[in-house]
Amino acid sequence: MNGPMRRVAIALFVIFAVLILDVTYWQVVRADDLRADGRNSRELLSRTGRERGLILSADGLVLARSVPDTADSQRFIREYPFAELYAHTVGYSSLLFGDSGIEDTQAEVLSSGRDLTISGLLSALLGEDVRARSVQLSLVHALQNVAAEALGDQEGAVVALDPRTGEVLVAVSSPSFDPNSIVFGNPAEFDRLQEDPAEPLLDRTIRETYSPGSTFKTIVAVSAVESGVAGPDTLFPNPQELELPQSTATIENFGGALCGSAEEVALEEAFLRSCNTTFALLGMRLAGDAVVSQAEAFGFNREIPYDFGVLPSVIPEADTFRNDLAALAQTSLGERDVQATAMQMALVAAGVANEGTIMAPYLVEQIFDADSNVDSTTEARAFAEVMGAGTAQVLREMMERVVTAGTGTRAQIPGVRVGGKTGTAEAGEGPPHAWFIGFAPVEDPRIAIAVVVANGGNVGENATGGAVAAPIAQEVMAFYLASGG
Amino acid sequence: MTRAAEAALLISAAGLAGFGVALVNFAEGGTLDAQTALTFLVFLLAFGGLSAAIRQWASGSVPYLLPLAATLTAVGFVEVYRLDRQLAALQRWWLLLAAGVGVTVLWALRSVGLEPLRRYRYVLLLGAVALLMLPLLPSSGPFPFKGLEVNGSRLWVRWDLGFQIQFQPGEIAKLLLVAFLASYLAERQAALSAWTRRVGGARVPEPRQLVPVALAWVASFAVLVYQRDLGASMLLFAAFIVMLFMATGRKTYLAGGVALFLAGVAGAWTQFAHVQRRVEAWVDPFADFEGAGYQIAQGLFAMGTGSLSGSGLGLGRPDLIPAAATDFVFAAIAEELGLAGSIVIITAFGLLTAVGFGIAVRARDLFRKLLASGLSFVFGFQAILILAGVTRLMPVTGIALPFMSYGGSSLVSNVLLVVLLAMVSHEERT
Repeated sequence: MNGPMRRVAIALFVIFAVLILDVTYWQVVRADDLRADGRNSRELLSRTGRERGLILSADGLVLARSVPDTADSQRFIREYPFAELYAHTVGYSSLLFGDSGIEDTQAEVLSSGRDLTISGLLSALLGEDVRARSVQLSLVHALQNVAAEALGDQEGAVVALDPRTGEVLVAVSSPSFDPNSIVFGNPAEFDRLQEDPAEPLLDRTIRETYSPGSTFKTIVAVSAVESGVAGPDTLFPNPQELELPQSTATIENFGGALCGSAEEVALEEAFLRSCNTTFALLGMRLAGDAVVSQAEAFGFNREIPYDFGVLPSVIPEADTFRNDLAALAQTSLGERDVQATAMQMALVAAGVANEGTIMAPYLVEQIFDADSNVDSTTEARAFAEVMGAGTAQVLREMMERVVTAGTGTRAQIPGVRVGGKTGTAEAGEGPPHAWFIGFAPVEDPRIAIAVVVANGGNVGENATGGAVAAPIAQEVMAFYLASGG
Repeated sequence: MTRAAEAALLISAAGLAGFGVALVNFAEGGTLDAQTALTFLVFLLAFGGLSAAIRQWASGSVPYLLPLAATLTAVGFVEVYRLDRQLAALQRWWLLLAAGVGVTVLWALRSVGLEPLRRYRYVLLLGAVALLMLPLLPSSGPFPFKGLEVNGSRLWVRWDLGFQIQFQPGEIAKLLLVAFLASYLAERQAALSAWTRRVGGARVPEPRQLVPVALAWVASFAVLVYQRDLGASMLLFAAFIVMLFMATGRKTYLAGGVALFLAGVAGAWTQFAHVQRRVEAWVDPFADFEGAGYQIAQGLFAMGTGSLSGSGLGLGRPDLIPAAATDFVFAAIAEELGLAGSIVIITAFGLLTAVGFGIAVRARDLFRKLLASGLSFVFGFQAILILAGVTRLMPVTGIALPFMSYGGSSLVSNVLLVVLLAMVSHEERT
């Protein structure tokens, strides 16, 4: 009687032992395949369904927030109240397509630390705060709005920053997309965005370079003044057409005009009229080394520190100009192989505005814990010393005259001294790119800006930097200074 | 182990339930709330009450039963709480009811002991058959009890009391059938094991004595056919055969039972589409991931993702598994508590089964030995059926995991099972 009972009991124990082996097989041997299986949505859900902290603008508006999913109480859905306006900077946190922008770079701050089973529990028990933190950006929502509306649906970018600190106040890239559509989106919508020839996913403030045109003359002028080769009053010949050495090419001014009426023209006059002949001569006089090294000091051919990777702006190496003065002459006008991002050109304006010191640009201003206490604050730091304070003073005055009496009059703000430089850059077959870089107020600049409107924007073939880009910069700077920024 | 140690372990189990609830709240962003205290107190009341009743009316019982049962109930409850607050609130009521029923049974049998179970075995049989047929009542009509079909299986009864209570009478019928068999087999043991008839050169049992075996087979098959309940059918049939074997020691009964089982399986396989689907889902759950294989596949994903240490309570996604709070509660626990938790659970089931068989070995007579071993087998085998289904050792049969799955009738029945084992243990030397 006891014998058969024991045997049945032993049979059950053997089966229990086999169950332990079996469950070990699934939870250890097969754990990695099961976890990585594409049909197992747990990893994705745990990464994206969790509550994340807020992303706020400098003026306190919510740019990204998590709201509970009504369909699945364990999940949160990420919402972007301003849709297209911050698509490239704030970015998106998507189930299927991963994270981008601040959502990506600040993922660790924004997500809660509760997922780390043992260590998360331990730190929670030890009283550490594992809740999601929030990020406040330096972007000013009211200003971002003005810039986006001024740019409209034209392709291009607006970057504005505080030259004294490097805080980025505006970063608008157009065309844009609605990150909400990616959070909820199906792969077809994402494919459509990726294949759209207008490239709405591209961040034109930092990931696209354009020929900078005459805005590059600012760098050439800095090099001239800094090296003592020329000052504002230095006179240059004023030909109708400049024949380039070692070449059959010639350089003319805009519209084939003379640079003023005199036989000779001062550098300052040539700058405010944006005379190509003068700057071609000046570039050749400076020689390749000086022009290239000045551009590199401003950030060309280098990594610019920022919250995201900035595509380096490029200028050919000095050696290439040694036996090709024609190329140097054209490069000095910001044409040929010079390519710059909007961010790079904003930093050129900022360097002039901030007495020769370029502050490293940044977006993340402060990080808050879940109780709204400040967790950390970004400290401003210098990125580059590009010229002496004296040179900066000279350049500020030269740039102010561009706005008062030159190509940049459309950037004038009543009662405010504005400095700037226009650019109308050849863009291959298409209409030219319209540029404006500038700062205000001249006596103590609080905002530096770069605007680029690709291929002439709505104006097309006849577009100039002064007519198309300068008014956009004017609106942004005027609004910022009027609102006490 | 002393009674004091038992009390300490029961308090720990109640603490485990309360602590688990607190952890789930924490994981979901909440804080300590009344649920934690309420759960702790309900567990303390239920198992404390049972322990006191056993001390009072079955004082000779081994002290190992309740702490194991309480631990399994606590872990199961926490997972149910984590998956569905409303179910958990109901489950707390069910636990109190189950403990109340357990205490009442102990009180009722305090002086007569288990003798009535032996004496009135045909009442038990009648009761079991009636309970098994209850779900076949029409789903609407004048009766207070109404049959209910859930997921294609008809094993539920709805009782309208102004509010509705649903229960599975088969869970209680299971206990009555084991008690009936223990009594019947204890009396007929001699006749069943004395094989006097010869066919050719081999001794065989009297065909007349095989009638109960055939009846067992028919009854189980009827449950399968009319109620479409694979798990209960296999459990009942295995209980008949194994108890017959334990009573007689004749392996031929086992062999014959296995043969009948295989015949039944083959028949079911050809006749029932739902059996075929279950087997196909078992062979390759990923072949029809969106359909028949989904539950098993999600269970495997849950276990694999949980891995060694688990996601932590409230931090996994066991809500993705269909029937996570009932049949698949083990997969949910494996996901959140990891392999560590899985092994603890399986070991606890093995230990409780072992305690039951230990009581059977020491029981004072054949009826009590068969009762205790039959109950222990039913308990252990039911756990194995669903655990093996979840871990893909065999097709999923759809049956509750004792003490852990959400479900009132299952909880009441398993508490009664433990109470009966305690009674057998108590009567060892009296």
